[in-house]
Order: sequence, then C-alpha cells, then structure tokens
Amino acid sequence: MKKIIAGGSTDATGLQVALPRAQAAGGRSTRFLESEGLLAGLLLAPTILLLGVFIAYPFIMGVWLSLSNTSVGNPGEFVGLRNFVKAWDDSIFQTAFRNTFYYTFFATVLKLALGMWLALLLNRHFRGKRIIRASMLLPFIIPTVLSTFAWRWMFDPTFSVLNWLLYRTGLIVTKIPFLSDGDYGMWCAIVVNTWRGMPFFAITLLAGLQTISPDLQEAASLDGANGWQRFWRVTWPLLKPVTLVVVVFSIIQTFSDFQLIYVLTGGGPANSTHLLATYAYQVGVATGLLGEGAAISLFMLPVLFIVVWVQLRYLRRLEGA
Amino acid sequence: MVIERRWKKWVYFYIPLTLFVIGTLFPFYWMVITAIRPDAELYRSWRAVNNAPFWTLSPTLEHFRDLLAKTTFPYWLWNTFFIAVVSTGISLFCGLLAGYALARLKFPMAGTLGTSIFVTYLVPPTLLFIPLADIIRSFQLGNTPWALILTYPTFLIPFCTWLLMGYFKTIPKELEECARIDGATRFGAMIRIIFPIAVPGILSAGIFAFTLSWNEFIYALVFLSSPERKTVPVGVVSEMIRGDIYFWGQLMAGALLGSIPVALVYSFFVEYYVTGLTGSVKG
Amino acid sequence: MTTPRPVDRRGFLVTSGAAVGVAAAGLEGILSAHRAPAFAQGTKLHVLRWNDFVPACDVELKRQAPEASKALGAEIVFEFINANDLQSRITAAIQSSSGPDIIMMQHNWPFLYAGGVVDVADLAQWQAKEQGAFYPQSESAVKDGARFLALPHSIVGLQFAYRKSWFDDTGQTTWPKTLEELRQVGMKLKKKGRPIGQTLGHTFGDAPAWSYPLLWAFGGAETDKSGKKVVLADGKAAVESVKFMQAFWKDACDEGGLAWDDTNNNRAFMAGEISATLNGASIYIASKRGQDKIKDERGEPLVRDILHGPIPNGPAGSWGYHIPFEHAVMKYGKNVKLAKEFLKWLHGKEHFARWFEIAEGFSVGANKSWENHAMWSKVDGPMKIYRNAAQASRMVGWAGPPNAKATEVYSKYIITDMYAKAVQGMGADDAVKWAAAELQRIYG
Repeated sequence: MKKIIAGGSTDATGLQVALPRAQAAGGRSTRFLESEGLLAGLLLAPTILLLGVFIAYPFIMGVWLSLSNTSVGNPGEFVGLRNFVKAWDDSIFQTAFRNTFYYTFFATVLKLALGMWLALLLNRHFRGKRIIRASMLLPFIIPTVLSTFAWRWMFDPTFSVLNWLLYRTGLIVTKIPFLSDGDYGMWCAIVVNTWRGMPFFAITLLAGLQTISPDLQEAASLDGANGWQRFWRVTWPLLKPVTLVVVVFSIIQTFSDFQLIYVLTGGGPANSTHLLATYAYQVGVATGLLGEGAAISLFMLPVLFIVVWVQLRYLRRLEGA
Repeated sequence: MVIERRWKKWVYFYIPLTLFVIGTLFPFYWMVITAIRPDAELYRSWRAVNNAPFWTLSPTLEHFRDLLAKTTFPYWLWNTFFIAVVSTGISLFCGLLAGYALARLKFPMAGTLGTSIFVTYLVPPTLLFIPLADIIRSFQLGNTPWALILTYPTFLIPFCTWLLMGYFKTIPKELEECARIDGATRFGAMIRIIFPIAVPGILSAGIFAFTLSWNEFIYALVFLSSPERKTVPVGVVSEMIRGDIYFWGQLMAGALLGSIPVALVYSFFVEYYVTGLTGSVKG
Repeated sequence: MTTPRPVDRRGFLVTSGAAVGVAAAGLEGILSAHRAPAFAQGTKLHVLRWNDFVPACDVELKRQAPEASKALGAEIVFEFINANDLQSRITAAIQSSSGPDIIMMQHNWPFLYAGGVVDVADLAQWQAKEQGAFYPQSESAVKDGARFLALPHSIVGLQFAYRKSWFDDTGQTTWPKTLEELRQVGMKLKKKGRPIGQTLGHTFGDAPAWSYPLLWAFGGAETDKSGKKVVLADGKAAVESVKFMQAFWKDACDEGGLAWDDTNNNRAFMAGEISATLNGASIYIASKRGQDKIKDERGEPLVRDILHGPIPNGPAGSWGYHIPFEHAVMKYGKNVKLAKEFLKWLHGKEHFARWFEIAEGFSVGANKSWENHAMWSKVDGPMKIYRNAAQASRMVGWAGPPNAKATEVYSKYIITDMYAKAVQGMGADDAVKWAAAELQRIYG
C-alpha cells in the first residue's frame, strides 16, 4: 500500500476524484508530510510548545518553590523537604487533606448514582424530552462561581430560604447552621458540587446509553428479567467504559476543586471546610508563604496520579476483554 | 416495547423526573426571583410575617439597570467572551492536530506523549499560578487578556485532545485509505476527509472548551487587576461585594446575565454535544 | 444601604474627551481608540484600596482623583476591591512585579511584605510634623527600625453597636461595664430571640477586633516583650478567656456567627436579628443614610435606636483593637517619586480633611491632631465615642513587637480560631494548647 502512494500524485492511476490541491504544489513538501513521524511532529508542535512553556516549566519552578522557603517579595533558599514536613504536621492541613478525600468520595458517588438514574430516565421517549434534556445541563453550564453564590444566598445564616421553608413546614424550630458548622458546611459543599456535576454524568451516560441497542433490553425482558436485573446484567456492563472515563475526569476536577469552597465558605468556619487547593491558596497567596503553599499543592499530585492510573488500567483491561 | 403498568410509570418515572427537574432548576428560579426583587424585600428577616421568598408582587428591573449602567459589568462580559473564544480557538486548533496525530499516526513515543499530555491535566492550578505569574511578568502580559488566552489552553488542550482522539478512533481507517489510494496525500486526506466528518466532535470539544474557559476563576483572579479587564466570575466576586453589603440583587442579576451567553451557545449545539460525546465515548 | 457606587458609564463617555483622568475607569479597552489622551507621556498611577464600608468615602476619593491628576500632571486611577481579597492581590502583584503603584494595607501587613515596599520615612516625618504625633498602633504597624514600610492613613475604630430599646427592656439602661454583665444581659436578650452577634469567621476586621481584645481583657498575651517567647499557654489567662467565650457564645450569641464575614453582622443587625455587635461605625452610618428604608420593628428609623459602647472590662481591663490603615508604595512600581508626591497630596491636611469629614467618624486620622477637628462637634451623639477610640488600642503580636511573625499569626487567624474551635466543642485547655503550638511553629 505504502509504495504505491509514497510517490505522491505522479503515481495516481486514473481516478481523479478528490485530489487535494496540495498535490499541484509539487512533490517534495507532500512527500515530506507523508512520513508519519514528521507529520506527527509537525502536528504536535504547537501543543508541545504551549504546554511546555505554560505547564512543564512552571511545574518545575513550582517544585523548586516547594523545596525552598520563598515568601512574597523574598527569594528563598533551598530547604529540602521542610515545607512538606511542616505541612504534614499542621492540623489544618490534616483537616484539609481529610476533607478533600471525604468531599471527593461522597460527591463522586452521589453524582454517579444520581447521574445514572437521571440518564436512565432521560433515555425514554416523552413529551418535552428535548427541552428537559437541555435544561438539565444548566447547572453545569453556568459558571461555578455564579451558581455557588446563588447557593450561598440560599444557605445564608440570616436570610436562608431553605431555613424558611423548613421552618414553615414545621420540620425545624431553629435555624440550621448550614455554613456555620464544619460538618454541615462540608455537606453543603457536597450538595452544591453534586448539583453542579450531576448533569455532566447524566448527559455523558445518556450518550453511552444511546449506543446500547434496545433489542438487548427487549431480549432480556422477554427472558423474564425485571427492571433492576435488566439494568445490572445488560446495561451496566456495557456502560462501564464510559462510566469509568467520566468518573476519572470528575475525580480530577473534584479533588483539585478550588472555586466552590472559596466562594461558598472560604475554608471556614475555623478552617474546617478547607480543601487542599483552598488551603494552598490561603497559605501561599493570602499569607504570602509561597514555598509552603506550593508544597501543599504538590500533595495533590501523587494521589491524583494513583487514582487515575488505577482507573485507566482497569479501563484498559475492560477494553481488552 | 416493554409494557408497563400505569402506576409503575408514575412512581418510577414521572415522580423521580419531576424531582430531578425541581432540584436542578430551583436555584435558577431563586436567582431570577432575587434579581427582580426590590431591595426592601430582599433583606426582610426570615421570620417576618410577610416574608414571601418565592414570589414577589413588585418586580423591578433596577438591579439589571444598575448592573449595566453603574458597574463595569458590560466590559466583563466582553472580556470573558473574547478570552473564551480565542482560547477555544487555539485549543481546538492544537487539540485537533494533536488528537489526529495521536489517534492515527504511528511514531515512536506516541504512547508516552499521549500520556504526558493527559498527565498535565492533573497538575493543580494552585501550584502553577505563582510560577506562571513570573512567566507572565517576563512576557509583560500582566493585566492583559493575553495572559489568560495563553494560559487557558493549558487545561483546554488536554481535554480537547482526549475528546477528539476518541472521536477520531471511531472513524474507520478505510476512509482515509480510500482517499489515499485515490491519490490524496496524508495531510490532504486529513484535512479534506477526516476533519469534516469529525465536525460534531469538534463542535462538542469547542463547546466544552468555551464553557471551561468561561468558568475559569483562579488564573483570572491572579492575573487581572483593572476593573475593566476582569472576567465575569472574577468581577462578580470581587466587585459586587462592596464593603459591608452584598448587593444580592445585582449579584444574582450579574449571575444570570453572565450565564446567558454560555447557555445560548449550548442551546444551539446541545444535539451536537450529545452526539459528539457519543462518538468519543465509543473510543 | 442602597447608596450606589456610581461609575456612571454614560457620564464617563461624555466627559472622556475632555476629562483629564477618570478614577476607577482608566479605560484602555474598547474605548481607548476614541479618546484623545490628555497626558502626552501617559503616566498613570494605580492606587488599590478596599471597598470602604462607608461608600461615600470612595465616592469622595473618586472625586478627588481628577483634582490630584491635575495637580500632579499624571493620571490617578483608583481601584476598589473587597478587603478580604487584598492580601492575595498584593502577593500576586509582588510576585509578578506588576500591579498597582500604591496599595492600601491594614493591620501590620507591611511587615509581611517588607521586601516589596519602599521606605517612606521622609513622608512619615512630614506627616507627623503637620498633623501631630502618630497613634502608637499606627506607627508600630509600619515602623521597622528606622524604616517606615508604609504611610499611616487612618484608623477604623470598633465599638459595640447596640439597640437601646431592647437593652432597656431587659433592665440594662446603661452599657454593661464588665464582660460578665454583658453575658448576663445577652442571656436575657437571647431568650427573647434577640441574641448578640459576633463573628468568629475568617474575616479581616470584626473577628480579630474581638478575639485579640478578649484575650487581652483577661490578661493573656501571645508573646513576651521580646517577641521571642510564646507565652500564650502560660498561666490561666488565655484559658479563662476561652472559657468565658464558650459560655458567652452559648448563652448570648447568635450561633451562626461562625460563618459570618464582616458584612453579616451588619445585615443581621439592620434586619433586627441581633441586638448588639462589635463593629465599625458603618451600621450607624448606613442606617442614618438609609433612614427611609431601614426601619425597626415599630416602623421607626432604626438609627434612632442605635448607641455605641466600648468592649466591657475583663479581669485585666478593657482593651480595644482598632485597625490601622496605611498606604504602601510598591517597589516594583515605575513611578515611585510620583507615588510619594501623590501620597503627600492625599494625606495632606486639605484633602484628607474632606475625606475625614465624609467618613463621619467611621475612619479617624492616624495622627492625634484629628481628635480636635471641627467635625466632632457636628457629629451625632452616639458617634462621639469614636473620637478618642484609637487611644486605647494594642497591636497584634502583643506583648512582642508587631513584626512579620505576628502578621503571620494574624493572617492564619490562629487567635480567632482558638475561640472558634472552643465554641464548636473543643475543650478550653485543648484550644489554647493548639493555638500555642501553632504560634510556636511560627515563632520558631
């Protein structure tokens, strides 16, 4: 195959259909681009350049920062792993570390469960399907900062509409301290994150569902399977690859989440709702201790790496089978 | 057709769906109501007898008016839009080329490069933005939209690449090979044959990138300082809370207006979005 | 409450052709093509300040900007952001060596950013000569040896604002003299659904202004005089103060205060949710300015029911922490000389006086001569207490010097968190031990 084509246009035999204009320009440049390696190099060049300058290089600098005692306005000196040790001993860091896992775990589980359920619901035919489907995406589309503000207003210690509702229906007597209490605050954040992220799960899983032929479902139901069994035996195995991909992306985003906590609670009350990202920001930028902030950020990386690696291996195994 | 009894339909379908719709859309209803309420109603105590949080009898457009006339909000809309469009363009361009290269071409280190592009997605922005501040300073891009236009692709490109890679993998190789037998060059085949077929995937990646870019906060917070250069998320957070007072009415009006462009883009392309994801998730 | 902050875009467009420089809208964006620059060299001075809790003050500054521009021959541009975001902006600016030329700082932040600011000792000498000696906390917030890291501008005094009629109802006709009395009154008020409101959140003003004086009122201190030894956990003072706070919180306070920032207590007070709160004068001023909108439960303007009182005495006396504000000239700036000239203009008697008058006592001058200004005779009765407020104040880091380590403790909200953790359930001893350990880690 290759030998016939390698010569470019001059070897074309007869059929003139869909000859690109590039051939007219002459053989050498097109022959050059025939080589897979060189073409790949050319195609990848812009990406590698951008990512190299704006990620790879800053990453290395960031690592250096974490190994130094740089603070704002004061160039630092190498101090080895001292920042990491200091962070590990810091009780606020430990809270933030725990919170990040807690938050990511519960939010992901909820998003997956609710997203899957919604996807199954949306997979049917009903009136107004298109509008409902489109409107379900809204929480995901709206900038996080803006929708989180709306939630913050809904949780406001003094003017909360949710408190009002619960009070009126007689379910509570005193205000629920939504954001004034560490545990409540964490769950408020999980609720907001779930609200925001569930549509992404739903739509992606819906896309996956639509590639599953309905005949499979019919066959299963004819064999006597009920709804739950149909889901578990037929749908779920076919959805696993899609699910895994979506879960990986979601975990990456949720684990390094910054905006939501920053706007909703600012890490409070008393540092009890900090995540690694917001705490790194507070230490590095608000307090100006850049080295320590960088070290805290770096704690995120190995965890993410492991999580992603495990899931991708699982994915590869699924696809292989 | 799977036959169901009527009550089952209600319990298992209509009610859950309704709950989902209410739960998902209630905050938006809340935003709209807050944005059109006069201030006097907004700050009424929650235990006050006449507190009616779910509707208002005297809607007003004063918050929208104040927002547009008395703040630099219109600039923020324009800035965010400009930055989002250009960064999306750059990222799609890079992602398209890179996705094709990684999905279709065989060359040494293909796997490694693919993985490393994906790994950059894992690097947290909170680590990067101080060193990035140094780089921005060296290029003298501080406080300009270019600081963001060049840094946003760092998280947009990996995502676009992955999405488009998946999409390209679903396009049968035979198409290209037919074209090449017909005499097309590899490059030509790529442009003339493959890219047009991948348009849904491109649109899908583009919409996603646009949304992510619109949504970005921390880089914009750090790299932009003048009020008229800010983007909507940063502007709303930093300027709508003036002193002791949260201007909730304007905040919600700003949140609504700031979401409309993205919502519009989605409404036009939601079908492409779904099919685009379908294509890519198969791969 | 609804005093708008007018960056009137239409007005700007009209005057842009002729105007010399319009504050807060130094437009280089879309409209720059249509504007004929009035300065050939285009020198701009970018000044970053907080969103003043008295919006009229920012209006005054924006009004002064064109005047200053004309006087100095360059364009002065003000930018106002939320105070809690200031520190992040300062770090980003210093790290990227680009940003505002002058930045307003609070507390003793200049120590934290000592490497990035210009020495303004000459300006400080001039100001002290012109306007009388500096208040001790203003000076200690910026003075590092012989260097002045920033030029003190003003002080925001904090007092308790309280509802006179509600206190009268419980039989307390004068402001409580001791903290214990305050707790007793608060208990009665909370039973009636009118608790005292106090924030223990991570916010720059109200939280430290309560937690540090509370510690001092019981005789506690962070370090000894040398500033090298952490003495927080020594003796019983800190533990006693924490125990008091725990009781006070449960008996008398609105327990939502853990999530409050500097604005929540204002809103709660004005909505009639709480009966008293430690705050700057902004509640009174906002209630006065919005008299027709801000009413109490009887339909009367709320402002008539507001009085002020200082923090009551603890076993070791009564202390306040009134926040010093200062302007720092950034080292990376390209117009350092211009910046200094501008500060001289802004802090000068003539122009500062106008700003001072509009502040109506919310912000007072950093120099003692402003106590004798004519404004104090015109100001409302309840506001007169702010005149001498700045006198009774210590600085963070007491009893040691308020240096960068003290600022770090402040920025990490360690003292505030000590109380916050305790009211959330931690034992008083444990809370103090935790705070002392954190302090030890910082002081090394």
